[in-house]
Amino acid sequence: MSDDRIEVRGLTKTYEGGDPRRPALDGVDLDIPRRRFVSLIGPSGCGKSTLLRVIAGLEDHDTGTVTVFGSTPESMCEAKAVGLVPQTPALLPWLNVRRNVSLPARVNRRAGRGSEDPDLLLRMVDLEDAARRYPHELSGGMKQRVAIARAFGLRPDLLLMDEPFSALDEFTREALQLQLLGLWERMSTTVVFVTHSVREAVTLSDEVVVMSARPGRVHEVLPVDLPRPRDGAVVTGPLMHALEDRVRASLQSAWEVGAAPDDLVRR
Amino acid sequence: MATSTPVRSRSGDDAPVRRRGTRARGSALSPGVWLPTAVAVVLVGFAWSAIAADQPYLLPPLSEVGAILVEDPLLFLTNAWSTLSIALLGVACGAGTAFVLALLMSEVPVLRRAIMPLAVVLNVTPVVALAPALVVAFGFGMAPKVIVTAIITFFPVLINVTTGLRSVSVPVLHVFSTLHASRMEVLLRLRVPSSLPYTLAALRVVFPLSIVGAVVAEFVAAGSSSGLGTMIRNSAATARLEYVYAAVACLATMGVLMLALITLLERRLLFWHESQQRTTS
Repeated sequence: MSDDRIEVRGLTKTYEGGDPRRPALDGVDLDIPRRRFVSLIGPSGCGKSTLLRVIAGLEDHDTGTVTVFGSTPESMCEAKAVGLVPQTPALLPWLNVRRNVSLPARVNRRAGRGSEDPDLLLRMVDLEDAARRYPHELSGGMKQRVAIARAFGLRPDLLLMDEPFSALDEFTREALQLQLLGLWERMSTTVVFVTHSVREAVTLSDEVVVMSARPGRVHEVLPVDLPRPRDGAVVTGPLMHALEDRVRASLQSAWEVGAAPDDLVRR
Repeated sequence: MATSTPVRSRSGDDAPVRRRGTRARGSALSPGVWLPTAVAVVLVGFAWSAIAADQPYLLPPLSEVGAILVEDPLLFLTNAWSTLSIALLGVACGAGTAFVLALLMSEVPVLRRAIMPLAVVLNVTPVVALAPALVVAFGFGMAPKVIVTAIITFFPVLINVTTGLRSVSVPVLHVFSTLHASRMEVLLRLRVPSSLPYTLAALRVVFPLSIVGAVVAEFVAAGSSSGLGTMIRNSAATARLEYVYAAVACLATMGVLMLALITLLERRLLFWHESQQRTTS
């Protein structure tokens, strides 16, 4: 048990009523060092989000162990050391933007964890002018920026992001990726990021974990050796394209490993 | 027509949809809104007058109903207050009890399994049939009338609040879980505000229902001396239809005012909810 990494060992998880021969996660082993940005990518049903929820302590697992920097996921949550950005922004619609961002500081005060100034966080995501507005007055991209600011509010040791940009248009998505990288570099947090986008995974990550489905397993862990900061020159360079091709090839082989006979029949 | 205030953020994504409070002004004054209602009211008035002129034992002339209301407003105000007090006390007791029980049931599932069947039985029981027994038990005072009204208003609030407390988005619950929020924090900061639209929808139903409950209780509780229900019963017995319809008009006005109050509350408390937002296109 190491306190400088997230360790997942022999993790197995079958959903109630699911096929026991095809668990959602089957013997997953994974190491994520502290302060790394790691993306989980894979075909639908490969257990990316399940793995994320198990690391967050939101779901039980059948066998195996998960330790987060030497603690259990539950202990990490008790200490408010985990930030979560779900697929939908999950804001409280009756609170204005500032109150939403400062919500984590007002919940579970027993943890005694300090928090960032919400106004500073809003400045960091370019939303200082929207502090008094309500979620229904914001666009999808703005809502997701509020959710990100909220998650960074406690300077969490671990930030879990479950396809946070999947509902956004390409332009907004790229702008938010840059903002996220800016916040991450400033906060030095460990990020586990679930995505379906190869480009997004390579742009953001230090490592891309490619998963295969049926059962959900880690297929391959690919290091991303792009320099940081990931500015325009980096993300349009030839190395970026080569890495994207590498991830795509790995995804293709992961899909073939996990494809059911039904998937291969043209209907 | 509602307007929107687009704001472009530095990150490029377009903002919003509509600012708080940019509800269209003056729309209620637009002839398209009030004219159809006004025409319908005038037509009903004409039809009423035609029937009243021909068969006054069916409907009293509107002028007589109006005259009685103008001549002795205190009589109607006093009786309306009596009925209204029963209705409001009944809502306070019935809806209040239902709200507290819904909170308890949301936290203690076994309580839900114990209470819900009883509540369903109470809901399908014709409460009017209980009223005479309540009069025997509690006398001719306010108590039996308040109990009848409370029982009538109890179930809609219980069902709606229970549903509202459970209708919380899973991603938000996950965020609260990763913060290790206590059950009380989840209840007060998340479940109760989430249930507000359901609670107010229930109040929209039970406030008018409470008037019905109060009037029915006054009908059944023979011997009561005040209230619009009592007035209607006594006036009908002596064929004074103008008094009956004047009292009915007062009851209708009370119902409309209660609905207006709920609408106002909804606008104040649910400004964030889809039900209070208008499309801008």
